[in-house]
Amino acid sequence: MASSPAVAPAPPPGGGLARLRAEVLDPGLCVACGACLGICPHLIFHDGRVAAPDACGLDSGRCLDLCPQAIAPGPEARRQELAQASDAPWWPELGPVRQAVWARATAADLVGQVQYGGVVSTLAALALELGLVGEMVLTQAGLDGAPEGARVTDRAGVLAAGGSIYAAGAGLMQVNQALASDESHPLGLVGLPCQAWGARALRAHPNYPAARRLQLVIGLFCTLNLDLRRLRAVLDQAGVDQPILRADFPPPPAGVLELTLPGGLRQIPLDDIRPTVLAGCALCPDLSAEAADLSVGAAEGQAGWNTVLVRSAVGEKLWAEALARGLVEIQPLPEETRGHLLGAAQAKRQRGLMAGKERRHV
Amino acid sequence: MKALTSDPLGIVITGVGGQGNVLMSQVLGRAFLAAGYSVTVGETYGLSQRGGAVLSQVRVTASGVLGPLIPENRADAIVSLEPLEALRVLPVYGHPGVTVITNDRPLLPLGVLSGQERYPAPEELKSSLAGLCGRLYWLPATAVASQLGNPILANLVMLGALLATGLVPLTPEQIDAALGDLFPAPKLALNHAALRQGLALAREG
Amino acid sequence: MSDLTRLTPGVAVLLQGNQALARGALEAGVALAAAYPGNPSSEILESLADSASSAGFHAEWSANEKVALESAAAVSFAGVRGLASMKQNGVNVCLDFIHNLAISGCRGGLVLVTCDDPSGVSSTNEEDARFVARLADLPLIEPATPAQCLALMKYAFELSEAIGQLVVLRSLSRLSHTRAAVTPGALPAGRPRPHWDPADPAQRWATLPVVPRHRVMKQKLQQAGQLMAQAGLNQYQGPERPELVIVASGSSVLYAREAIGLVDAAARVGLLSLAGTWPLPAEILAQRLANAGAVLFAEEIDPFIETEVKAWAAQQGGALAGLSFHGKADGSLPEVGELTPGLVAAALADSLGSPWRSVEAGYLERARATVETLAPVREVGFCPGCPHRASFWAIKQALAVDGRQGIVSGDIGCYTMGHRPTGFQRVNSVHCMGSGLGVASGLGQLKPQGFDQPVVAVVGDSTFYHAGLPALVNARWNQSDYLLIILDNSATAMTGFQPHPGTGLTASGQAGQAVELEKVCQALGLAVEVADPYDLEATQAAIYNAVRQGGLKVLILRRVCALVQGRRGGHPFKMRIDPAKCRGESCGCNRFCSRVFRCPGLYYDEKAGRAAIDEVVCVGCGVCRQICPAGAILAEGEGEAAA
Ligand SMILES: Cc1cc2nc3c(=O)[nH]c(=O)nc-3n(C[C@H](O)[C@H](O)[C@H](O)COP(=O)(O)OP(=O)(O)OC[C@H]3O[C@@H](n4cnc5c(N)ncnc54)[C@H](O)[C@@H]3O)c2cc1C
Ligand code: SF4
Ligand code: SF4
Repeated sequence: MASSPAVAPAPPPGGGLARLRAEVLDPGLCVACGACLGICPHLIFHDGRVAAPDACGLDSGRCLDLCPQAIAPGPEARRQELAQASDAPWWPELGPVRQAVWARATAADLVGQVQYGGVVSTLAALALELGLVGEMVLTQAGLDGAPEGARVTDRAGVLAAGGSIYAAGAGLMQVNQALASDESHPLGLVGLPCQAWGARALRAHPNYPAARRLQLVIGLFCTLNLDLRRLRAVLDQAGVDQPILRADFPPPPAGVLELTLPGGLRQIPLDDIRPTVLAGCALCPDLSAEAADLSVGAAEGQAGWNTVLVRSAVGEKLWAEALARGLVEIQPLPEETRGHLLGAAQAKRQRGLMAGKERRHV
Repeated sequence: MKALTSDPLGIVITGVGGQGNVLMSQVLGRAFLAAGYSVTVGETYGLSQRGGAVLSQVRVTASGVLGPLIPENRADAIVSLEPLEALRVLPVYGHPGVTVITNDRPLLPLGVLSGQERYPAPEELKSSLAGLCGRLYWLPATAVASQLGNPILANLVMLGALLATGLVPLTPEQIDAALGDLFPAPKLALNHAALRQGLALAREG
Repeated sequence: MSDLTRLTPGVAVLLQGNQALARGALEAGVALAAAYPGNPSSEILESLADSASSAGFHAEWSANEKVALESAAAVSFAGVRGLASMKQNGVNVCLDFIHNLAISGCRGGLVLVTCDDPSGVSSTNEEDARFVARLADLPLIEPATPAQCLALMKYAFELSEAIGQLVVLRSLSRLSHTRAAVTPGALPAGRPRPHWDPADPAQRWATLPVVPRHRVMKQKLQQAGQLMAQAGLNQYQGPERPELVIVASGSSVLYAREAIGLVDAAARVGLLSLAGTWPLPAEILAQRLANAGAVLFAEEIDPFIETEVKAWAAQQGGALAGLSFHGKADGSLPEVGELTPGLVAAALADSLGSPWRSVEAGYLERARATVETLAPVREVGFCPGCPHRASFWAIKQALAVDGRQGIVSGDIGCYTMGHRPTGFQRVNSVHCMGSGLGVASGLGQLKPQGFDQPVVAVVGDSTFYHAGLPALVNARWNQSDYLLIILDNSATAMTGFQPHPGTGLTASGQAGQAVELEKVCQALGLAVEVADPYDLEATQAAIYNAVRQGGLKVLILRRVCALVQGRRGGHPFKMRIDPAKCRGESCGCNRFCSRVFRCPGLYYDEKAGRAAIDEVVCVGCGVCRQICPAGAILAEGEGEAAA
């Protein structure tokens, strides 16, 4: 169990959009997870940015309640609640973990379509095939290259969305839109840590019964995300042609963002990229998407492999099926790598919590 | 030419842009002129077609030239196509003896439509008006006009009601004549009918 | 309007002040009348345009007031009569020409009508345009009634011709829009043939040499004063030795007369009604003020006569210098806002030392308190279906998503209301015709100094031609950085749907030569895009992309004015709310459609607990269906339109 440092003070009465603006949007701390989008016309998303053009006149609302960047309840309280609710072994650095392994997909057609080992795409496709979910919400590049949520129902759709885009796409907006439809099938999500927390808030919200349909969250590891428009400006400046086929942050000491372009590889120094990091990411204490059913990241020093953390019973069931069907192969997580991972998670937690301490209710 | 009940006679015609009160004041003005009176019709419009209040003033005297404005609190009658607008002009033109003739059909201001402001309940409005005038005619002019086939005819229903008050020394036929060739024949007949219905309505009420 | 040549001479009819002015010009045999639309002056040219073909002269809406006056002056140079009419702001637009014209002089009768708008009922300012008479030494005429409008218009032409100088005639919104009995006179049998003799040194219309010609300009004013005195434009009524004389002009003459009656002071107070106010009618002033105890000035907007008479009296010395003066300067009458009979009566009573009330004690207080508690304000807004509402919605959404606190500089027209709730308060500055583009042009130069807010200028099609073009040329030349949005609704809607260069129709409804917005902007080398504001998403995207890209760009938002569309057979849809889809108060949008979008066609039905369409008000444009988060606003007829 995590130690319990001071929990953020109780928010003053009244919440809703006005507070969301004051705490998150106006100070530029939104990470465009999408939790508040698609449920209310007062919040709009375009070109990587969330905005609220008009006052809504109400003093409570789901937008604030669902936002992972809101001051209340705060990351610590949120995590304590998760620890209590979860029956998995609790790792102080990584949250609930039933299994931690290295893994990669076995299917040949994933090569070139996926980021590392293709575990995420494999599991997403499997969940659809099993009927565990009727629809998965993923994030893919839209026509203009800006990431956006995508609702897919089959393996081809999953593959089309493979690979990582280092910019926020507000995928939870598509979750909200899917939940507003007349369908009744269960829903799944692939999302970043902030989105996994948003998804958990959605499922728990007393005024959002439809959100119980969201039954599977596959989390991605994440240290930071980028502001689409600033990134675009940097790439324009560097003369990078679209389309970008793949983007990756190779492990240190590379110190670059590596882009695969039609004409070959291109490296952009991290120093140029740093100013494009979303300011809100500095507040995020979660590296491994603790609130997910199952989390996936890179495998340090093992190209083409993933690190997989199986967290919940739902996640475990899906994982067992993937193994049973031979869709993934695994190897143990080396002791040294595991240490690095715990250290990185701990470091991010500390940075995030520290930054959050500065925040005050307005 | 009959003597005026008061000289100068001042009639305020008010309502919301698009309700046809400019036509009312014009017709009334023409009828007075034809009957040999000296008449001045003042109109305030500008942004009026965009939902604002519109106000006309008809001033009549046996002889001489009158200014466009009825002096403050000196109107003899206030004719309003919208009940709230009747109330709104009372501080400017009303007095304890003024006759108020108003349509009972509200037209909601934008602030009310959008939920930020409240429109008074009919009874509340009616009793407030009654408390600030000598005689109140609270008439379902739009309803009567709709029965005739077009809510816009409320303006002629109201003109008819004005004749019924006895303040205006004009006959329905004189108004008919003033309507002249403003409308094609079938529409003209409807206008004549609306005028008479208004007259009857106010006499009953 | 109507053809005023059809009136029967000698038979009184009810005419609006503006119509009477037009009839006066017809009777004076005007050869060219030109104007730019603007309340309260528009009906003058409208009536003249409707009469132009019967009377056989030229009437036009000009691109702006300066061009209108220049055109009118031109025919005067050619020996025939010209008229230019405008609202007060238009006089400012003409100012440079006026001052030079006053030096050059003219030949055929030439009259400038300014319709001033006390209280700014349909204006962005409350300006007294009489200053121009003082500034350029021009004779000034101020009628008080529609009948005087006709008579004095004719006189103004004669006076102008007699002295070879432009004459200013000032009307007021109250007078321009008042109907009263007017007895028309005869129309002229013929009109002189225009001719300009290039060999005649007297017909050299230029300002050089300046000083001698400036001297002539002064002499003309003096001559005008003599002629006006002979014409008996100014009248005195009242006792020979009054306690007080009211000096009044325009509508205030009538208020003053009424005020004397109201306070029952006919035996003590005289009224000096001035219709010829510049040059000051010194003779009658000297005669009437010498015997008076005090003077009260009643005139609209500025204390023009008041200030000049006080200066003149001080020079006269003697009894005149010792008079006590009341008016706007000493607070007897308000410095701003329109005058009324009651205000003049109260000022008069105060000056006489006997207070006056318009109504018995207590009534006013009760009535005011009732209005205050019961009556919500009737806010003006865009019409149902107005394309401007859709345009400002898109501007608001796009600038919010952009997130850099974009600034919108507005201009003059219906869309000026963009700074009100109906336009989502998305206009940050408004001044005069065309100034939105000039303001944007300056703001658009600040980027290198750290001004990182995007700049948008919003202008109507008509206003763009009026005074926007030079500002756009400037912006192009100096490489300013802003997005110009031209709201092209194909009408000068604010002032009553007059045509303009873009529509290609002339004042009398004939086909002219259309000047196309796109081609004009493209000729300046500017990228031009066109979008339909009814398509909110496409419009938002166009605005967003343009401000993100930066640089000087033009976006034309084209959709005909909703009222014009109404006349052309209306909009395509019949709207309704799907009761199964509108979630009412449980939606969480808090009445987004009626509270935020605010088309008067939409309201919240408290009883039903959901949104509703007011079928009488809604015109069926279908725009609102794009904003409902639940898709509850349905457009019937949509299927058919698509099929
Ligand atoms: C912004 C970002 C930061 C990351 N940072 C780290 C890190 O620091 N360390 C680390 O180990 N791993 C990080 N990852 C995760 C990593 O890039 C891989 O997504 C993960 O290892 C899964 O690999 P895979 O081969 O299974 O992916 P794939 O099978 O290719 O599946 C990738 C999935 O990610 C989804 N996706 C792509 N872009 C986004 C986005 N912007 N938001 C939400 N979902 C998206 C796609 O829809 C797809 O389903 C990050 C991912 C993202 C998007
Ligand atoms: S972080 Fe997510 S929930 Fe919060 S404001 Fe941004 S998009 Fe909305
Ligand atoms: S369709 Fe909607 S936006 Fe258009 S006029 Fe009707 S209510 Fe207004």
